[in-house]
Amino acid sequence: MAKKVTLLVGTKKGLFILRGDGERKKWDLEGPQWSPMPLHHAAYDSRDGSMYAAVNASWGGPRIEYSRDMGKTWTVSQNPSFPEGSDRTFRQTWHIEPGHVSQPNVLWAGIEPAALFRSEDRGVTWTLNKALDDHPSRAKWTPGFGGLGLHSIAIDAKDPNKMNIGVSAGGAYKTTDGGKTWEQDNATNQSERPDVFTCIHKLLAHPEEPGLRFMRVHEEVYWRDPGETTWRFITPGLPTNFGFSAAIHPRDRSTAYVIPLDGMRRTASPFGIGVYRTRDKGKTWDKLEKGLPQGAPMETLREGMHNDRLDPMGLYFGTANGDVWASRDEGESWTRIAQYLPYITSVHAATIE
Amino acid sequence: MLLHGAFRGFAGGARDVTLDAATLGEALDALVQAHPSLSERLWDERGKLRPHLALFVNEEDARLLGWQDAPLKEGDIVHVIPALSGG
Repeated sequence: MAKKVTLLVGTKKGLFILRGDGERKKWDLEGPQWSPMPLHHAAYDSRDGSMYAAVNASWGGPRIEYSRDMGKTWTVSQNPSFPEGSDRTFRQTWHIEPGHVSQPNVLWAGIEPAALFRSEDRGVTWTLNKALDDHPSRAKWTPGFGGLGLHSIAIDAKDPNKMNIGVSAGGAYKTTDGGKTWEQDNATNQSERPDVFTCIHKLLAHPEEPGLRFMRVHEEVYWRDPGETTWRFITPGLPTNFGFSAAIHPRDRSTAYVIPLDGMRRTASPFGIGVYRTRDKGKTWDKLEKGLPQGAPMETLREGMHNDRLDPMGLYFGTANGDVWASRDEGESWTRIAQYLPYITSVHAATIE
Repeated sequence: MLLHGAFRGFAGGARDVTLDAATLGEALDALVQAHPSLSERLWDERGKLRPHLALFVNEEDARLLGWQDAPLKEGDIVHVIPALSGG
């Protein structure tokens, strides 16, 4: 059966679903679900076909919901809540990450206030990762402009015990034992101190190459090859240092994408919206903008860009002005496949058999 | 107790519950006994009632009646409503 792509589009007023045809040319729009409640993220789990949504509602409070029927019906999870004695309460979910393929019932969630939760029952219940929560460096975490959130959960392609997480603003951490212990992981080729952190915006693991990581930080972009223990600074060549959205090519080991924004305006102004691609691990960057509105000062957020797993790869991003843009040719050309949606917070491309 | 809007969905579609309670707090506890899925939707993990929750006893805003201490008598109707705010 031919593979198809379904996009889960989180907005400030609910979740929309765009179901594509086999050629990724025609898209049917469904939703919104949960409007007018905001979502920070929604994800598809290719291991069993489940969907998960970070419903950051005021009515009934924040929650994670899951669907076992491709988004037709949803069930509320037991909240990822802090244990008795904590002075914190679950405020919102930033990211939901299906676990490693070898752990089919495991999922991870990053929440605000920044903490990591694990589910061992396909998202029905959630348990705090105490090792990260008890890390002494947590006392130094401070909220970014969007709050104090744990939003990046990067699981190694080969070894489920090896993970990285990213916190705004608390830096990057790594575990090599499945989350029993954590180390600060911020050393770069410019500063060798792992404990000096900045505000991570998106940290990604390559889905096929063990050890390969790509990281979009507030004012920098970094690459890490397998075996390296520091982050390699690869920001030169981009029009600005700032941005949120990032993606990594699911097969090619040298290709990644970012959407630069102006650090003050938080939009692609004055240089205009464009997806920047490196094919050489960040040595050079190309602006991909064919089909995009030239010079448009659009804005994308940290979950705003994602890729499918087809060949050629499809790349998708959503904007603050409610557009969803799609490329069927790995970013070379772009088509708007939805518009006039609410402010888009997340785009997740589900590749479905 | 009458459940309105999203709170019906959280209670599996239940529209109303009849129960014995002397105060609004007792009524909420009994409501959650009947529909445990409502617990996290009404309170956070520190036991604080969530914002954007409106509770009315008959036609009176429960905040003006003592909130969770508001007394109830036989025949009172408690409305559980997702509150609107902003402007």
